[in-house]
Amino acid sequence: MATLDLSTLSITEANERIRTLGEQGTDIEIINPDARHHIGVGLTAPVNVKVKGSAGYFCAGLSDGASFEIEHNVGWAVGDNMYAGSVIVGGNAGAIPGVAIRGADIVVKGNMGSRAGQVMKAGNLICAGNSNFMAGYMMYGGRIVILGNSGEQVGQDMTAGEIFVAGDVQSLGADAMLTDLDSTDTDEIRALLDKYEISFKGALQKVVNAGTKLRYAKQEPRTRPQPFFVSSGRSDYWNAKVQEDIFIKAGTGRYRIRGYGASKPMAHFNDIAFRKDLSHAGNDADALTRVNLETKIGGRYGAKPLSLSMPVQIAPMSFGALSKKSKIALATASRMSGISENTGEGGMLEEARQEADQLVFQCLSGRLGWNIKDMQRADGLEIYISQGAKPGLGGQLMAKKITPELAEKRGIPEGIDLRSPSRHPDVLGADDLVIKLEEFREATGHKIPVSIKMGAGRVKDDIKIAYKDGFDYVALDGLQGSTGAASTEVLENVGIPTVGALIEAKLGLAEIEAGDDMQLVIMGGIKDGIDAAKAIALGADAVAMGTAAIIAGGCIACMQCHVGTCPVGIATQDPEHTDRYDNAQEALNIHRFLEGVRWQMAAITDALGYDDIHKLSPDDLVALTPEAAAITGLEYVPGHVDLQNSALKKA
Amino acid sequence: MCGIAGILYKNSQGAEPVGQSLISMLDGCQHRGEDSTGFAMYRPEDNHLHLRFIVGDDGEAAIEHIKSILAEHGATLLSDERLGKSYRANVAFEGDIQDFTYALENAAKLISAGYALDIIKDEGTAKDVDDAYAVNGFAGTHGIGHVRLATESEVKPEAAHPFLATGFADVAIVHNGQITNYWKMRRRMERRGFKFRTDNDSELIAVYLADHLKNGHTLETALQEAIDTLDGTFSFLVSTKDEIGYAKDHLAAKPMVLVETDDLIAIASEEVSLNRLFPGTALTTTEPAPGTFKTWQRSI
Repeated sequence: MATLDLSTLSITEANERIRTLGEQGTDIEIINPDARHHIGVGLTAPVNVKVKGSAGYFCAGLSDGASFEIEHNVGWAVGDNMYAGSVIVGGNAGAIPGVAIRGADIVVKGNMGSRAGQVMKAGNLICAGNSNFMAGYMMYGGRIVILGNSGEQVGQDMTAGEIFVAGDVQSLGADAMLTDLDSTDTDEIRALLDKYEISFKGALQKVVNAGTKLRYAKQEPRTRPQPFFVSSGRSDYWNAKVQEDIFIKAGTGRYRIRGYGASKPMAHFNDIAFRKDLSHAGNDADALTRVNLETKIGGRYGAKPLSLSMPVQIAPMSFGALSKKSKIALATASRMSGISENTGEGGMLEEARQEADQLVFQCLSGRLGWNIKDMQRADGLEIYISQGAKPGLGGQLMAKKITPELAEKRGIPEGIDLRSPSRHPDVLGADDLVIKLEEFREATGHKIPVSIKMGAGRVKDDIKIAYKDGFDYVALDGLQGSTGAASTEVLENVGIPTVGALIEAKLGLAEIEAGDDMQLVIMGGIKDGIDAAKAIALGADAVAMGTAAIIAGGCIACMQCHVGTCPVGIATQDPEHTDRYDNAQEALNIHRFLEGVRWQMAAITDALGYDDIHKLSPDDLVALTPEAAAITGLEYVPGHVDLQNSALKKA
Repeated sequence: MCGIAGILYKNSQGAEPVGQSLISMLDGCQHRGEDSTGFAMYRPEDNHLHLRFIVGDDGEAAIEHIKSILAEHGATLLSDERLGKSYRANVAFEGDIQDFTYALENAAKLISAGYALDIIKDEGTAKDVDDAYAVNGFAGTHGIGHVRLATESEVKPEAAHPFLATGFADVAIVHNGQITNYWKMRRRMERRGFKFRTDNDSELIAVYLADHLKNGHTLETALQEAIDTLDGTFSFLVSTKDEIGYAKDHLAAKPMVLVETDDLIAIASEEVSLNRLFPGTALTTTEPAPGTFKTWQRSI
């Protein structure tokens, strides 16, 4: 037994010692905790940790296998995302105890706060006292036992799992109902309570999902595919796209779901050009040797940055939205081209981790596939707030794509049309976000960068929060960004275009006199190296490409990703279709595309007279349309002629 | 987005370390916001009206203007002091506080007015503000404080909390959250003759509560009305010359935790702040339920 005194150790020092002692198999006692946050975060050794006093937020969070005992109180999110082990709280717990747990027993001997067990998927959350409201909110599995009163709206939007209440069920949440106990429930719960020395003799009520919201009753009808290229072109008010949309709504009677991004004209990098004559840009194969494209992303606070051979990342796209094979192809291509890949929001594929040299692991509001071991072998972490195709919405994954493998990885039931919450359980504002960010840094020893993924909306305000909260970099996604499934109303209409988002981000940072220590990665409709060079000239540190990469890898852009029967084998989990996908060949195709992007960036940089792409600036650009000029502040060429005062009038 | 803290020494005669206690509590949750920090602190009431203005670094003209308005309204300047970006004036005044304070706003931003109250706030952390204003030396009876991360408005001293109830003496609030029906409520109150000096929704809470108090309601009743009438997410603390109280919205979206002993009541966003008052001690704390309010009064 080792003793750590938090009155003399910082929390980071303490957690380093806890991890070291854990690896040695030494039990740990913590004195003078004084309700500090993040005690024991990221511990993956099966040792005992005793906290003599109270702990703050995220105590025992992101741990796997350890047993914690906190004599007194804990703050928010005790046991966050635990896989195995236990936490016993002698006093009260704050909001969201047991949030996102994948296993483990969380035992609160006093009262617990609101939204207990939010998005939990397995394990037991036991409360010997009363619960505050919305216990079991959006839980996907596992068991909650409340020996006191349940609080209001118990089981709100739960997908699966069970909630047992011995006291009053004060009210039921949406899509929750009371049901009879199974014959084994009472004995199992008594055994569980005995294990933690909680005496109980009363009767229990059981709350489960009522099943009213788990499936879209009518799927979109299969239609003749209308490719994105056609649909996104300029057209009149009534066109094939509008007809298709009305036809589908007539068949389903609800909002429509589809894949891909906003499919309509809007300001884009095409409306911007380079100021100098680039007619010779393509003639010199040696541009690559003269131009530096290397870019480091992250490292604001000393973490090891992503080291990109050019300022390009693969954009986040999940295993789930995409097939395993296509995710492997993207990972392989990222290694071949010396850039980073991103897991997207569905968890880390083992094969993708093996194939990618640099892999960013993304954390979704529903914590699907999120776990400490993959965090510790990621090269960067990313908190997903929203994306360009659907700002303000959580993820959607249709039942057809939820295979047993996917259900197991994400921790969700099979057979349902999955929805993630639109917001993180533990982030209700910028002040919560800073504590969440610190949890991730503590869990990974402050070694890797942590970024935030935002859909572009109120960028000028949001970017300031990201800077003040301390992110290494921001991944900003304009309205043109794509998705595997979203409601068309949001996909088409919510958000601002990528060019405007980038400018607003730079303006916001300038307003608070932020340095250049937080980097900006822009994405959303960036289709080639020319767009990338323009984005970097406007102030991005790097770009991320998703749609372009999967088109290079065989996507035909039919905009029916949500249906789950992608004929190419990309946006599907159906073996008949995925068998068609040759991931080795497609990796090579994606890699060659990325090498084309590299060459384009180098050629433009060289033609403009620079030897480093990061020397590009807005002075190198002009706007080709009045709208682009208004959005960016770039000079409008051909510009305005004041006819009344020009030489023309004199003549 | 912010952290809040409050403390009341139940049997105090005015010698308790209110400034130092608030500094410790706010330092404990400074991670919630480093843009600005503020304190509203109380000592036993006297016959003088204590005013504090933000005049900036070059405030001579503003101070002359303040002095002329004091004279116009028959207020006698008893003592004054420049400190940091602020100007403090102690005056003898017996007229209508609302008209008087509205008039003073024409000279400089009035951030504090009261017979017991002093509000000190500025950009920076609790330690920064203490360094500039010697907050740690304030001895008194109770107080509330705030650390702020600006999200949609500028970082400047007058946008910091606590907010004086403009037009009233001795009422201050600190607030974590947003009031979504701010503009509607503000227009209603403006039609009744109230004036607002910032676009910050928290100022409205202060004026709303003070108006209820002026109309004879208890602070508890005022807080109950506030929970029913204000829309949005909020946890806020309010202080008067002899009371502190809290109100919490129905969704419990903003954290709040409190500890009570025979000697004191302390409330904060996070328990780590409360523990700064009691290092090495495991506290028995309470998390207020959603939609609740409570007040504590100093024994006199």
